[in-house]
Amino acid sequence: MIGYLGAGALLAGLVMAGFAALLSFWAGRQENAVFVQIGRRAFYASAGMIVVAAALLELGLLSHDFSLAYVAEHSDLSTPWPLVAAAFYGGQEGSLLYWALVLGLLGSASLIASSRLGLRLAAYAAGILAAIETFLLVVLVFVASPFGLLSITPPDGLGLNPVLRDGGMLIHPPVVLAGFASFAIPFGFAAAALLAGRSDAAWIAHTRRFALLAWALQGTGLVLGMWWAYHVLGWGGYWGWDPVENVALMPWLATTAYLHSSQVQERQGRLRAWNFSLVILAFLLVVFGTFIVRSGVVPSVHTFALSAIGPWFLGFLFVCIVFSIALLALRAGSLASVTRPAPTVSRESAFVLQNLLLIGVIAVVFWGTVLPMVSGLFGQERVVGVPYYERAAGPLFVVLLALMAAGPLLPWRHARASLLRALRWPVAAAGVVLVALLLGGVRSVPALLAIALAAAAGTTCLVEYSRMGLKLRRSGRGWAQAAAVIVRKRRRYGAYLAHLGMVVLVVGLAGSHFWQQEKTLSLKPGDSVSIAGYTLTYTGAEQRRLADHTELVGSMQLGDQTLEPARATYAGLGGQSLTHAAISSTPIADVYVVLAGVNSDGSASFQIFINPLVVWIWAGGLILILGVMLGNVGERRTALELQVARAISPQPA
Amino acid sequence: MIPGLKWALLGAVVAACVGYLVYSAAGGSSEYYLSVSELRAHATSGDVRVAGVVQNDVQRSDGGLHVLFTEKDTTASIPVEYRGTLPDIFQPGITVVAEGRLGTDGIFHARAVLAKCPSRFATTPYNQ
Repeated sequence: MIGYLGAGALLAGLVMAGFAALLSFWAGRQENAVFVQIGRRAFYASAGMIVVAAALLELGLLSHDFSLAYVAEHSDLSTPWPLVAAAFYGGQEGSLLYWALVLGLLGSASLIASSRLGLRLAAYAAGILAAIETFLLVVLVFVASPFGLLSITPPDGLGLNPVLRDGGMLIHPPVVLAGFASFAIPFGFAAAALLAGRSDAAWIAHTRRFALLAWALQGTGLVLGMWWAYHVLGWGGYWGWDPVENVALMPWLATTAYLHSSQVQERQGRLRAWNFSLVILAFLLVVFGTFIVRSGVVPSVHTFALSAIGPWFLGFLFVCIVFSIALLALRAGSLASVTRPAPTVSRESAFVLQNLLLIGVIAVVFWGTVLPMVSGLFGQERVVGVPYYERAAGPLFVVLLALMAAGPLLPWRHARASLLRALRWPVAAAGVVLVALLLGGVRSVPALLAIALAAAAGTTCLVEYSRMGLKLRRSGRGWAQAAAVIVRKRRRYGAYLAHLGMVVLVVGLAGSHFWQQEKTLSLKPGDSVSIAGYTLTYTGAEQRRLADHTELVGSMQLGDQTLEPARATYAGLGGQSLTHAAISSTPIADVYVVLAGVNSDGSASFQIFINPLVVWIWAGGLILILGVMLGNVGERRTALELQVARAISPQPA
Repeated sequence: MIPGLKWALLGAVVAACVGYLVYSAAGGSSEYYLSVSELRAHATSGDVRVAGVVQNDVQRSDGGLHVLFTEKDTTASIPVEYRGTLPDIFQPGITVVAEGRLGTDGIFHARAVLAKCPSRFATTPYNQ
């Protein structure tokens, strides 16, 4: 029953979305306000149908309706219900439905207030979003339906892999997927602005929140993915430059570039073609990433269920590329800047350089990701490993950090003679940290650069905060009022907070990357091992029996702490085992112990990692997200109003 | 100065730097990705990655830290030796990618063994 209803809802959604796309384009061309409104409502209706389909699938999962192939393949009776509910986005078909759902909801939200952008732009935006939704629904209805029925209803489902039975798995995939889905909103409005021949920044202002949301979701998804890999996979690391990780990183980098360069257009009216290109690039990278991940064309440690949707996404990618290039070529003439170019040393130049470097990082990651495919065409397949990414992208990240330190202190227009004066605090901080590290015996140049420049970038943010505070204090107003100003100008100070989070994150990445120590060894009960100043004593192993699995626990004493790394064995799933790494976290370093096995003579084998500053990564990620939220929530004077005012009377800033 | 020329120059400089970085980094660290039979067909001296299915002859010693197993594709097989902790889902029947080099002793000495990670919630799909 659920199967038929769900399939019906998806089909109705498809019809609505297709209708919305065709009608919106036609009505936009005719500038027919009534039909534009109807087209928009058809999009809402389509989103409503997707909500119904999603609710039905969730109902099927929670009621264990194993007549649905998707339910039988992705859940079973013994799985706890939150994980059963999470199976909604755990499989191929369900994750596509989830994508369509997020696009429907966010797309509707972005269209509600879109009419003030002008009839044509709003209509085209609805048309493009509806066209993307139509594509997803075609795949969902005809190729990968989550409502496929089994001919015989099995008594129980197949359940899910124990590696995925983790709380992190409940939030990581939906956040990443929602991030992927939300990139379509800025793209839709950018392409619509190009189609409508509007080169002003109204579309930027209108979709700023959605771009920030996409960026924040994707960033959170990346950090959660790292957190999950670190805590669950038990290999002592968090990032492996796997194609699946790379394709999630690239759109995020493109959006990072766009969030900075769009400020240039909002303030100075320049970089218009560039901003269009960046938003289009971010969206194309999302589609490309989905194709890569779902088609199995590059070797990855993640094997996704291979299915028929690969060619569909390749076709969609091709259409999107042709459409985007044609659109940019069509409007290239009208996108030239009208105002005077910025001086060489200015905030604007810093943004441009930062953008170019981020594109450079994307190029590095892209090349590493597609190399197996490209080299496979011309002979034997080749792959690159972690050292490639570190060597090629590392220097670019160092320059980006330096820009993060200097950029916010550069003026928008001409740099006054006080440039060196403005940079004195970050330079001093970098110098102090550099000397301290050298005295501490650090000789690795990349480590010295990364930490010193992170200190400089952090100092820059603190200088900006304290400057505002001091100015207010000197004018006789209290700290409470200073705080109020920071809250009022939260777009700016939210951005600095995000920068600060990035700095903390970078310190964590650098610390764990440059100073990780690892030891693999066997110990008899009572034996101790010393690594990086930490002394661990193996006290003995025991077998524990839990509800659905057994655990072999090898206890380790670290000071007055007992670490219990374990190997769990799930009898129900072909005897698959699962590592439970024991992690003792402090802000200085994590002691990360993996139990490899226990020998017949009572000794046990361990792999021990000392991972310095890993906690900083998670803390930095959290601060980053808080900064974005502060900068995004409830902006009082919307940038759109400013933009509309500027569009009416263009003034040289 | 022609407007935009400055940034075009900057872009060219950045592009040249990125090109150099990619070229030098990829030249130094790219490896062949082979199936077992491809490795058998043309033995290479450098590091390679070999993909194949783990056979039912996994021998572990030293508390599971030292592993010997056979990796096989449709036609050829190769003995693999590895020291270290293995991925959790490592077991006979799964596909692994061993990274290392073929020794003169005919054994593939792996530096790393990667297992294909299950990214879906199901274990095996039903054959409909």
